Amino acid sequence: MELSMLWVNYPYVISIILFSMGCLCILTQHNLIKKVIGINIMETGIFLFYVAVGNIKGGVPPIYDPNLPEGILYVNPLVDVLILTGIVVSFSVTAFALAIIVKLYYFYGTVYAPNIIRMR
Amino acid sequence: MDYLWETLPFLLILVILLACFIMPLFARWKKEVAPYITLVTIVITFGISIVLAYRVAGGEVISYAVAGWPPPWGIEILIDELSAMMLVLLTASSLFIAIFSFHSLHTEIPDQATGWYYTLYLLTLAAMMGLVISNDLFNVYVMVEVVGIGACGMVVAKGEKLSTEATLRYLMLATLGSGFLLFGIGFLYQITGNLNFAYVAAELARVHDQYPFLIWATMSFFTVGMGVKAALFPMHIWLPDAHSSAPSPSSAMLSGLVVKVYIVTLIKLYFVVFGFELFTETYMRYLVLFLASGAILGGSFFAFVQLDLKRRLAYSTVAQIGYIFLGFGLGTVWGITAGLLHIIIHALMKVCLFLSAGAIYYQTGNKKVTHFSGLGYKMPIVMASFTIASLSMVGIPLFGGFITKYGLALGSLEANNPYFIILIVLSGLLNAAYYFPIIWQAYFTSGHDITMTMDAVPKTMLVPIVLMAVGIIYMGIFPGDILFFLEHFVVRFL
Amino acid sequence: MDDYITRIVFRYVLLFILVYGIYIVLHGHLSPGGGFAGGMILGMGMLLYFLIFGFEWKAKLRRLPLDVAIVFIGLGGIIEAVKFMLPKHGPIGAPGTLFSVGIISVVNIGIGLLVASTILSIFYLLVEEE
Repeated sequence: MELSMLWVNYPYVISIILFSMGCLCILTQHNLIKKVIGINIMETGIFLFYVAVGNIKGGVPPIYDPNLPEGILYVNPLVDVLILTGIVVSFSVTAFALAIIVKLYYFYGTVYAPNIIRMR
Repeated sequence: MDYLWETLPFLLILVILLACFIMPLFARWKKEVAPYITLVTIVITFGISIVLAYRVAGGEVISYAVAGWPPPWGIEILIDELSAMMLVLLTASSLFIAIFSFHSLHTEIPDQATGWYYTLYLLTLAAMMGLVISNDLFNVYVMVEVVGIGACGMVVAKGEKLSTEATLRYLMLATLGSGFLLFGIGFLYQITGNLNFAYVAAELARVHDQYPFLIWATMSFFTVGMGVKAALFPMHIWLPDAHSSAPSPSSAMLSGLVVKVYIVTLIKLYFVVFGFELFTETYMRYLVLFLASGAILGGSFFAFVQLDLKRRLAYSTVAQIGYIFLGFGLGTVWGITAGLLHIIIHALMKVCLFLSAGAIYYQTGNKKVTHFSGLGYKMPIVMASFTIASLSMVGIPLFGGFITKYGLALGSLEANNPYFIILIVLSGLLNAAYYFPIIWQAYFTSGHDITMTMDAVPKTMLVPIVLMAVGIIYMGIFPGDILFFLEHFVVRFL
Repeated sequence: MDDYITRIVFRYVLLFILVYGIYIVLHGHLSPGGGFAGGMILGMGMLLYFLIFGFEWKAKLRRLPLDVAIVFIGLGGIIEAVKFMLPKHGPIGAPGTLFSVGIISVVNIGIGLLVASTILSIFYLLVEEE
């Protein structure tokens, strides 16, 4: 586990940093909108991880083109589908969470969580 | 006709999804028709799932490749004994809850939202069924997300302050959990290069020596991710608020079915993908045992101090899920079989309890446990079913709950760990401590502070409750077929 | 909004946005995009239209986009569900041309409709509270 391993695999390291930052944001931020931003940061970290899994050094996008030479390396197309599904899911969850926050704002007049708990 | 027979597993979900997509049209223009469409759809699906269960009981494991692409390239649907059992349970319970919600829904939800509620109901049901039969890692993730959003929608349908806050907490924690799940799936894909359960298991058996830390991390990600959604002990904090402030049919479906589906997926991940040796080697088994004991004790203690009936039932769910996890933590044939049986029996019990609570709320408008005096004579049928379900929860013989506690005790003896028998007996006493006061008050004290706000509970609401209670007694007396059915499944993976 | 410049410019820009969205949806199997991204662009285009022009409409007319969106969600869902019932895809043509994969183009159109109408309906349900 030398330090150069961290340097070579930098997409994975950054993805884990983003994921942990997103998790911390969801759990500790007091403003509700910042929690939703935390969800998005966490999901972005996960998608970065998937891209790093699927990428092949020196590969081209996986679309068939008769002009390219034989024996060329294509990037893994399965990973692309997984990320697309994940993005759609993340978008739906963000939209739903924001709709609920709008409703909470109508009820309580604030988006700051400790005030909401105090008002209950 | 032959084509229909082959695509039957897929038709199961397709029927519900079609109904779910045309439901918004009815919800917008003609909302009285919505419950009937729901009922017809669930009856058709129930029929199909019974046919599939008979085929599986005959010994074949149904495997269907979606859209004709064979397994490593396409998504596979696999129906084995556990999945067939869960399918029958899901459709039967949803049928009863839908019958119950005919009359109770318009008292709890704003009037124009009833059509949309049925849309969410069908969507959650379709996703749950898809989750138990899918054999592909990414299909699991998609279905988990759809169930999560559908369940959150069903909680927030009530539109009050408390429900909205509970839904936000549920949504945040559920998204956190599914983020962990997705990360774990990414790890597995990176190690093995496949997404199908059988192929991943084969690859993992070959390469697991090279990645000890990564497999440990993956298993813990799966435990935390699905544990948040399945309300395992320290991660259960969303459960009391969400289940107590939801409309009654939603509480019943959430507490009885949605949490269980995640546990079934976790079992499949532990036993089919990772295999039992890895489960023990990476000390996940001991972690699960530890958390399960915490859940049983902590859930019961918290339930004891609650005054709101639905909150008490919600904490009771936390404790019962502890039993199920105790079942697989023990890791013996009897232990896991008892845990799986408890999934079914607890679903019956909890749905009966929540529906009874809903019927009591419909008729008297009270939710506090202290106002139950004399209710046993004013609402005899509902209180009788409540009593049967509570006695089963405590573990009195002749009811279903006793069979699972006995099975768990046998399992802990098989695992050479007799301390868990003390835990099971103690928890039975704790369960009694918070269920018996209610029954005592209902039958043996006379009530002056009960006001009936409406007429008698309509028959459509009584029928499901009574049928569930009858089911509990039946499972208590004849558990044999289902026990041996489940044992086939367990023996294959042990 | 009462801004004259926005309205006059937008009438021409909307045409380009819609054509670009339909292009991405139809060429989903040849270039990146497909149903989701193209549907989002279409939805955003219609969203901009209602942001700029739509607030002066009478109350009865305001429910109209929501109803249309619901119908399109139903249609899109049914098209997508039908995809699974066919044994393999429909007729397959030469790779690289527009109509080379049978049912996948129709499914892309269905997904595009669905995503666009979802975005519109979420916007409507959030704005309608007033």
